Amino acid sequence: MGKAALIAWREIRWEIFGDRGAVLRTGFFALLPIFFVLSSRGNTLGGSADLAILTLALQSALIPALSGVALIASTFTQEKENGTLVPLLAAPVKDMDIVVGKLLGMVGPVMTICAGSLAVYYVLGSVLYGAARLRHALPFEILYAILVIAFLYLITAGSWVLIVAAVVRTTRAGQQIAGLMIGISAAVFGLLGVTAARIADGWALVGLGIAFVAADIVALEIARRVWRRSEVIGRL
Amino acid sequence: MIDVRDVSRSFGRTVALDHVSFRVEPGEIVALLGPNGAGKTTASRIIAAILAPSEGDVLVDGISVRAEPDKIRVRCGMVTDQPSLYERMTLRAYLAFFCHLYDVASAGRRTEELAALLGLSDRLDVRLGAFSRGMKQKVAIARGLVHDPPVLLLDEPATALDPETARSLRSFIVSLRARHRAILLCTHDLDEAQRIADRVVVLYRGRVAREGLTGDLRADAHPRFVVSFTGDAAAARDALARAGVKAEPTSAENGYAALRFDADEPGTTNPVVLRALLDDGVRVITLAREERSLEDAYFAIVAAAGEQNG
Repeated sequence: MGKAALIAWREIRWEIFGDRGAVLRTGFFALLPIFFVLSSRGNTLGGSADLAILTLALQSALIPALSGVALIASTFTQEKENGTLVPLLAAPVKDMDIVVGKLLGMVGPVMTICAGSLAVYYVLGSVLYGAARLRHALPFEILYAILVIAFLYLITAGSWVLIVAAVVRTTRAGQQIAGLMIGISAAVFGLLGVTAARIADGWALVGLGIAFVAADIVALEIARRVWRRSEVIGRL
Repeated sequence: MIDVRDVSRSFGRTVALDHVSFRVEPGEIVALLGPNGAGKTTASRIIAAILAPSEGDVLVDGISVRAEPDKIRVRCGMVTDQPSLYERMTLRAYLAFFCHLYDVASAGRRTEELAALLGLSDRLDVRLGAFSRGMKQKVAIARGLVHDPPVLLLDEPATALDPETARSLRSFIVSLRARHRAILLCTHDLDEAQRIADRVVVLYRGRVAREGLTGDLRADAHPRFVVSFTGDAAAARDALARAGVKAEPTSAENGYAALRFDADEPGTTNPVVLRALLDDGVRVITLAREERSLEDAYFAIVAAAGEQNG
């Protein structure tokens, strides 16, 4: 696990904070939810205010998570394309440490941004819609559930993207397919999220979380198989 | 010590290695030669425990690559033909990262030692993306040496190096041999192999076409002679053709004309050549055996292997 942490730290320090493009892309995804909140005009929320507040909270956490999926796609395809995977595989590091390290390196910063974005939304929402209304619509348990869902979405979509990254040869192809997956998954999960939020005061979101966990297990198992070093080297 | 035992490796229907066996002893440099696609890189990746063999086994210092691949990786240092660096990192951070991956005790000190060894001390805090191709290759070499491995796998290590740096790299590799390292050098550079390799393994379409001491392989090539003379080279060549000896012009020193010819039986052929030239009025200056290069031997081996494979 120590080596997974080392790989994760390298990703964060040098591939995210060392890449202006990655910082800008992630920053764009972090600012986008704030733009949606500001443009929603709190005084027109009407009778479905709680649902609107909840939906905006969900997007505040999930939109930054989308950037994480793109980051995961590019980190693996770039390693393949640049040949940097070979020295890594030649080192005494377990295959799982490489996959976990790279996922952690992407998931860690992105989840921090998701949490930050949700916090900014909460503050902004308190001003726009009133603190009491926000506290009622977004109790602590729901905020926590939203973050868990963002995390599970990131891992699920990231794992599926990881499978794609093992098969495609170029970063460009990887990013194109990742973009497609982000679009489809955002639409599907968004729809499921809004539907779940309507049921039992939002507690059906827990069911959505369980569905994510099931998808995670399947995706991570496939990812583990396709990222075995012999399989990867055979495709280089 | 590397002991490759009857190793085969397939990718789908493509057979990359077909029952390959050879050894590299400590204190020995073995050149692994062969055309593109012969299986050199696959062989080195199997030895480095990056790829598993489909059949057979590789022992490194007696440890099986199948049974304990992690222990093999600790014993092998690999230098790839492309530097393949994380170009956003500085040299210091990059080497320290690999030191940590290999559990090197004092990463900082080792990083500075390697940078000094390869003449990069003044670039320690520069991002690798700003390095020249030659400097990047030096960094790739340093990466392969971070854990001071007993076995070195060098895949075209001198690619893109200027002649001066390539020469110092060769000296460095030879110095590692003196420190009892087992070194496998995969290369297309036959001149480099001839200069530093003790033994040569030639792969052709995944099989060992020939293995032997570098000197023995060169000596096995058909004996070739060069005769230098004053006069018309074309007329001299015609005279040899009439005597049944096929010759081709070559350059000779001191402004003399020269012809080169093969002579499997010099005791028979050379007197015929001399007689034909003298009878034609050619003033012969020298007749000497041409030293055969590894390149000559290599092409002969590959041609023979190609004929055998149809």
